[in-house]
Amino acid sequence: MSPSKSRLIVAGALILSAFDMASAAPAPVPPPFEGVYQPQGLDEVGLWHEDDEGERNLASSSMLIRDENLTAYLKSVLCRAVGDDRCGAVRVYVLREPTFNATMSPNGTLRIFSGLLLRMRNEAELAAVLGHEFGHFERRHGLMRFKKTRSSTDIIAWAEVLAGFSQNSDVRLSYQNLQISVYGNLFRYNRDNEREADLLSLGYLNKSELRPQAASEVWQNIMGELETSASARGLKKPKFDRIAFTASHPPESERASYLAELAEPDGNSRDDGKERYRSALAEWLPVFLEDQIKLNDFGASEYIISRLSESGWTADLWHARGELYRTRGNQRDLVYAAQFYANAIELDPSLAAAYRGLGLSLIKTGEKSKGQAALGRYLELKPDAEDANMIQFLMPKEPTL
Amino acid sequence: MIFRRMLIGFSVALVSSLAISTDANAHKLRAGGKTVDVAGSDLVVTPSRDWNKLGEKIGKSTESWTLDGEQLNDVTFFAGIESGKPLVKERDKKRDPLPKFSGDMLLIEIPELLEGTYRTYKSIATFELLSSEPISFLEAEGVLFKYRYIDEDELTRDGEARAAMVDGKLYMITFDAPRLNYFERTIEEFRAIADSARRQ
Repeated sequence: MSPSKSRLIVAGALILSAFDMASAAPAPVPPPFEGVYQPQGLDEVGLWHEDDEGERNLASSSMLIRDENLTAYLKSVLCRAVGDDRCGAVRVYVLREPTFNATMSPNGTLRIFSGLLLRMRNEAELAAVLGHEFGHFERRHGLMRFKKTRSSTDIIAWAEVLAGFSQNSDVRLSYQNLQISVYGNLFRYNRDNEREADLLSLGYLNKSELRPQAASEVWQNIMGELETSASARGLKKPKFDRIAFTASHPPESERASYLAELAEPDGNSRDDGKERYRSALAEWLPVFLEDQIKLNDFGASEYIISRLSESGWTADLWHARGELYRTRGNQRDLVYAAQFYANAIELDPSLAAAYRGLGLSLIKTGEKSKGQAALGRYLELKPDAEDANMIQFLMPKEPTL
Repeated sequence: MIFRRMLIGFSVALVSSLAISTDANAHKLRAGGKTVDVAGSDLVVTPSRDWNKLGEKIGKSTESWTLDGEQLNDVTFFAGIESGKPLVKERDKKRDPLPKFSGDMLLIEIPELLEGTYRTYKSIATFELLSSEPISFLEAEGVLFKYRYIDEDELTRDGEARAAMVDGKLYMITFDAPRLNYFERTIEEFRAIADSARRQ
């Protein structure tokens, strides 16, 4: 067998033997919480020390959103998901970073990225993600991964030393196969951790008052976003069922399907807390939308806006869509943008930024006088705007005597 | 503009592993009082003091200068960006495209182009335009704007830039430095460069 062929087979076998989550039964209720936990052993104490240091830096980070109400609300969602006894061990930090992510570190530091909050549509979806992160914490995955990585790299290092003694090509080949097998095993271990965290997350949700089916919808939405983003960029449709050798997480379609199976069927009629979520995020939504729109990912932004608009268009959503189209800037986009800004103004006639966008879009599509009128309204509403002098520059010039 | 950290990381690793030492990689000096053309273009400036020219280019038609290192003070010249081109080199044209300059842009949209480029390239969320004013730059109508952002290294940086469109191309000079101490310390040196800018 050629070396490359044997390597492929090893890799293939590893993928095929991946953790089996196919389970028709809902996720079981997690065991009673063991209470306050203190690190044990040299490795864990060391990890917590590092983590404490990281948390101190985080608390003074310039990326942190210091909004007590928002943080308290997010903590309350976590508590509703995992239970009041469990959530006491967690400190929540919100970071202004426009990516879909949240992390939980071994000492109980929960980092929530603003890009995640923009993509969640209700409390139940957020609770599913936070419950997943809490699952990593409860099962101490951080420590397990650290140990697993160390032992895997130890094996490879020693094997390389021993293989170096031999001139035999078979020994070299065996070493290469061992390397692939050890790394494959490590990546699979990490993916299994993710699956276990998903299982725990659904266990918490099934027990909570929130709708557990939302967990699967998170991943259906992410697939929708990735697909729209790729299509707008003229790329091939992403493959959501493929596990790359080095993948850190199970593929999205696998997660969406097993999460749906793990959800308690009777829970489908429960509240998903959409209204509470919208009102808690109302102040931040325009900010997070702007952060997303300026990332130059037209498809993803359009998808996010359209999903958010399912529960009704608001002035902020129309304005965001106007900004998205105006930034792309084709003539056809500008015509749409002007319409979107006009819709925003209809819902909120005091939204200064919408007049600015409307004015600029109209000027660029040849409707100068209408555009100038809109810019004039912008200056009336926001006379001390940071770009007031530049806007003035676009206004009709006073006739000189 | 601080875009080259990663690029430099790779090249430093490569160069050091090969143990090559050559003057070709060294940063060149831009002497005070001497008029020089930048980025091989028709844009010329006369700095009031000595500056280091960084060897690495972040994009076609760009050139960067610094005094104490690019993270502490960074002057970048965008000398004639053509319509349809991004300000800096894209990491991945297909998967990670950057906003493009367009010849039909309004001057007021140039700060938005720089903002979009920073946000997309650095994947940052906090960027604030502090002010924008009309000015005359390179004997054309231009824009002078100031901005503030939290960079990838979580440091707050201030920036000031001047831009104009000449013959459908974008000419812009930016200055970025940490808000704490460094911006105020060097901003006048930058203004001297920007004041001296002309096309030959």
